[in-house]
Amino acid sequence: MRKVLFSSLMAVIASSVYSQTTINSSTFGMMEARQLGPGTMSGRISAIDGVNADGKTIYIGTAGGGIWKTTNGGASFKSVFDKYCQSIGALTIDQKSPKTIYAGTGESNMRNSVSIGNGLYKSTDGGDNWVKLGLDSTEHIARIAIDPKNSNTIHVAAPGPLWSDSKHRGLYKSQDGGKTWDKILYISDKAGCAEVVIDPQNPEVVYASTWEFRRLPYLFNSGGSGSGMYKSTDAGKTWKELTNGLPAKPFGRIAFALAPSAPNNIVAIVESVETGLYISSDGGDSWKKQSAVTNVVARPFYFSTLMIDPKDPKRVYRPAYTFSFSVDGGYSFSDATDEGGWLHSDMHALWINPINTNQLYLGTDGGVYISLDRGGTWIFLQNLPVGQFYHVAVDNKVPYNIMGGLQDNGSWIAPSAAPGGIGNANWMALNGGDGFWVQPDPIDPEIVYAESQGGNVNRINVKSAKAIGIKPQQVAGDEKLRWNWNTPIVFGAAGKNNLYMGAQYLYKTTDQGRNWTRISPDLTTNDKKKQEQENSGGLSADNTSAENHCTIFTIAESPLDENQIWVGTDDGNLQYTTDGGKNWTNVARNYPACGIPAQTWVSSIEPSRFDKNTVYVSFENHMYGDHKTYVARSSDMGKTWTLFTSNEFTGFAHKIKEDLVNKNLLFIGTEMGLFASVDAGATWFRMKNKIPEYALVRDIQIQPRTNDLLLATHGRGIIVVDDISPMRRLSMDVASKEVHLFSNDPVKLTMGDFGGAGFPSTNGWVSGNPVPIPPIQYYLKDRVSTGKIVIEVYDKDGKLVQSIPGSNRKGINKVYWNLRSKPPKTASGGTKVDYGGFIAPMVMPGDYTVKLKVGDKEYTSPITLLHNDANKDFSMADRELQYKTGMNIYNLHEALAKTVEDISSRQKMLKENIAKVKSAKVKKLLQEYNDQLETLRAECLATKQKSLFADEERLRERITEVYASICMQEAAPSNLQLQRIGLLTTEVSNAEQTNANLTTKYYKKVKDALIKEGLLKEEKPELGNQKGK
Amino acid sequence: MKNLSVALFTLLSLTSISVKAQTADEVIDKHIEAMGGKDKLATLKSVRMETNLSVQGMDIPVVITRVHNVGQRVDISAMGMDGYIINTTTNGWSYMPFMGQSAAEAMPEDQVKESIDGLDIQGSFLNYKDKGHTVTLVGKEDVDGTECFKLKLVTKSGKERTYFVDPKNYYILRAISKATVNGQEMEVTQNFGDYKKTEDGYVFANTIGGAFGQGDMTVTKIEVNKTIDEKVFKPAN
Repeated sequence: MRKVLFSSLMAVIASSVYSQTTINSSTFGMMEARQLGPGTMSGRISAIDGVNADGKTIYIGTAGGGIWKTTNGGASFKSVFDKYCQSIGALTIDQKSPKTIYAGTGESNMRNSVSIGNGLYKSTDGGDNWVKLGLDSTEHIARIAIDPKNSNTIHVAAPGPLWSDSKHRGLYKSQDGGKTWDKILYISDKAGCAEVVIDPQNPEVVYASTWEFRRLPYLFNSGGSGSGMYKSTDAGKTWKELTNGLPAKPFGRIAFALAPSAPNNIVAIVESVETGLYISSDGGDSWKKQSAVTNVVARPFYFSTLMIDPKDPKRVYRPAYTFSFSVDGGYSFSDATDEGGWLHSDMHALWINPINTNQLYLGTDGGVYISLDRGGTWIFLQNLPVGQFYHVAVDNKVPYNIMGGLQDNGSWIAPSAAPGGIGNANWMALNGGDGFWVQPDPIDPEIVYAESQGGNVNRINVKSAKAIGIKPQQVAGDEKLRWNWNTPIVFGAAGKNNLYMGAQYLYKTTDQGRNWTRISPDLTTNDKKKQEQENSGGLSADNTSAENHCTIFTIAESPLDENQIWVGTDDGNLQYTTDGGKNWTNVARNYPACGIPAQTWVSSIEPSRFDKNTVYVSFENHMYGDHKTYVARSSDMGKTWTLFTSNEFTGFAHKIKEDLVNKNLLFIGTEMGLFASVDAGATWFRMKNKIPEYALVRDIQIQPRTNDLLLATHGRGIIVVDDISPMRRLSMDVASKEVHLFSNDPVKLTMGDFGGAGFPSTNGWVSGNPVPIPPIQYYLKDRVSTGKIVIEVYDKDGKLVQSIPGSNRKGINKVYWNLRSKPPKTASGGTKVDYGGFIAPMVMPGDYTVKLKVGDKEYTSPITLLHNDANKDFSMADRELQYKTGMNIYNLHEALAKTVEDISSRQKMLKENIAKVKSAKVKKLLQEYNDQLETLRAECLATKQKSLFADEERLRERITEVYASICMQEAAPSNLQLQRIGLLTTEVSNAEQTNANLTTKYYKKVKDALIKEGLLKEEKPELGNQKGK
Repeated sequence: MKNLSVALFTLLSLTSISVKAQTADEVIDKHIEAMGGKDKLATLKSVRMETNLSVQGMDIPVVITRVHNVGQRVDISAMGMDGYIINTTTNGWSYMPFMGQSAAEAMPEDQVKESIDGLDIQGSFLNYKDKGHTVTLVGKEDVDGTECFKLKLVTKSGKERTYFVDPKNYYILRAISKATVNGQEMEVTQNFGDYKKTEDGYVFANTIGGAFGQGDMTVTKIEVNKTIDEKVFKPAN
């Protein structure tokens, strides 16, 4: 009995392993994303380290785009951290073993939008593979320092959590390559470690700065008793605080650097009431103030980079708001020139090649720059697609336009497709400052709306980029307007004329911002304690609208009713009106019942397009130290809520998006990934599909015509998943089948939207265009490891038109048919490349059958091809003439190929026998026949010139010239093309006739001679493949 | 009922433990077994494969001739012309008339060296320790929806190759080779499918994706251990 039970259990397990069908990212197999970048404005760089020994292998850590590696000094980059947290705080190469790299996640430039890390990672193979070493809860890592004499000793400076008290901060040390860690300098749960430097000549000497800091949603503080400058002379066992000559405490953030060539020389920028550059020449025992120029004291919490030239102890670099350098040990500073071009402000990382100290790599809020003259002038690297978009929007033009705003890089627009693919040059700047929402005017195609921080919105003409400021203003009876850093500008989903903006009040315009109406009271909590932004910053005032609070953060009009508008605020109010703003209902008190903390920041609202009472809302609470994913649905106008839960979720939620067609298909974008549900939120999976798995997904849109899913990522630019309709169509029934061939929508015959002029891109970022022809799609429940997969296309008469090898991957597979038949067989054996054998006419409109063969099984599905009426330059009559003519030339090619094949086979026989025949007369006869055939062959195709640079045009090449031009363009053949075909037809016939004449002249003679010589038997008289005519 | 669930739980835990406890050698052993077995592979001396590279119905015949640790020749016929690439342990040539070459051109020494490891047609995993290679099981990684074993092989000469092995059948599903060409690190990715056993007991992938940049190569004929004249590893023009 037990035995029976055991074996049935095993059977259950086996069947559950092999028959269980779950829908996840792999189900959608080849539905892969394209990363649009661009590299035009790039994005914030937080760490750079290079391999000292070669000077060209360099790793770039980014604020939200992972790690990028170049092995050629920056000519090209590869992302090497796509499976992990994308926010990088520190990168350090073990120079003794330069394939070993440590990456600390969690950027430490503690701005309002800074992301959060999840620990320290290590690679021992140059970034191919990574393992996590721990320190998971530090959230922010500022520096990793490796003992130059002992690679196993590593120090990690962790400022620690920005938004909460935590013990997970301070200076950590490992003596076993990262396996175990000791905290060797810890101040308090409010103060972490911001910098660590090991004396390169005496690793027992270690310097560290500690930093007390805190953000609240509405205030920032840098400074406190926990900040200090420390030194250890016993490798971190004991610490001494350095104060002699430094300003009076409290301190804020301290950036410091040792001179590698004379490490007793230290420079430090000490944030304090007397912020300035302090220098020490005695290893920190005493200090004196050296300078306090603007760029030295600029925003110490954000600009913490300070470096001394590896060879010259007097040359100090201060990349900050601008790029400054000193040649006199920090007494005076010069700035980089604008010669050669502009250098992006706001700098966070610098690598100086220690072998060639003229060569600098600089990381800014707008990408990486290289200097070859010690910082005097700069070259921008345009191939790092790490822009930090906040939002994305699309219009409905053909091709549609993609637009959005970025951290410190303004607002941009680009077409979704362009000749040669979407490259850096296709992006046009719309607006300056930090960019956030951009909205296309749904009615006026020339107008978009874009803003800079704090609600400074412009109406912009997309052709001229001329802008008109339309920000709503405070009027009598209003309180001072409070605009969020990332102020919502939103068009109505039902009322296409309605443009909304929110301060603490909601505003509406229906005439492009010429006249605004306030349509709400203060919709926030209006908590005055959260409105003291003028005191923000701590020791250094910092009030840039980034901390503005008690503001409207999200607005959404119901797609089913323009009078139903939802508003969410950063202080947790969730309000709606059903009468266009006359009356408002706050449902904030209802959502905590489903597990969302009270008064949590409302990050996005998605009123359902299928049910007026249903609304989806994402909330985020990370500014109170809570990173959980909060997304909920209410089906009763916010009275009751259901929280979506999944073990897959990571990161706080920015966006919930309901599909436009299938109400069960939902997407969530979080600080750490994109998630999808195909069952109305019951289960969720992480979308991979060439999307970095922990991408910071801030916004999600779906283009209604193309069904493309667009992601605004905060560090990987814009990502597009072309045509998500398979996600809508994939039912559980289909997913359970071993193989499923999807039905095909009618396909319009096209050769694509663009030509192919120009050169390939050099040193920029180009993403390919979406495919112009919809692919044939099939689903495989599992990867097919044995058995061929082929797609065949048959015409209505059952004739095989085309055969294409299929892919074998699990999930959705796509096969691309170019809507052409198989190319002709062309004359072979020449010395020149002939493209005729690669070209086939496009097939005619009509009904075809797609047959999918998987091993010995077959699946069929009809496909209808249509003439594309949208192309006014190419009528159906044109197409018919083109096809007819194309097929005529196709046949000409095949006829010529047949003649040439016959000539060649005869020549082969003649050449073989010339050596064998004994009679000189017969030898001469054979040679003469062969020479005549060669003369003819040389007229049929190029046989003499091998050089790429010597044109030799013969009959085959002439046919191809006309054939290619007729078949490869959407146009009727011209009169002279048609006439030329007549000429070519005659030439092909002539060649055929000449061959026949030669056969008549020589065939019998040669045959008789060879029989006589005993080289040919009488009963097998054929000389070549084909008997002469 | 309680016992049943305990038993089920235990069994499931055991199953998951056994999956996790795989070592590189276990994966390699199973892979070698799947490829015909250690003894069988050791008898593989030469292979000639006729393949077809298909691009939208245009068929490009490609013939691959390999002699174990001696040489490899790839013959390509396209546009009415014939070209080839030859690698041996000491030399290499390419003749690509479709790309304008009018005579065979010698391969730079660094590329010849890069190709030497590939002349081991029995597969680098067979007796890899004796060959001086090292293999690490990096972990598991998703390849096109299949959670694969990821093996990193570093050859005796220092070349790195990453293999993704399907845990269901221990076939290699993808290989990524790193090569240094003209001082620049390059990666070549190949996908394998349609594994089949030949009549004489050797297992080969019959589709090779990404072989020449684009398109899938489909094997149409395989000949094993036929005598191959080594003259084919010298350029003819």
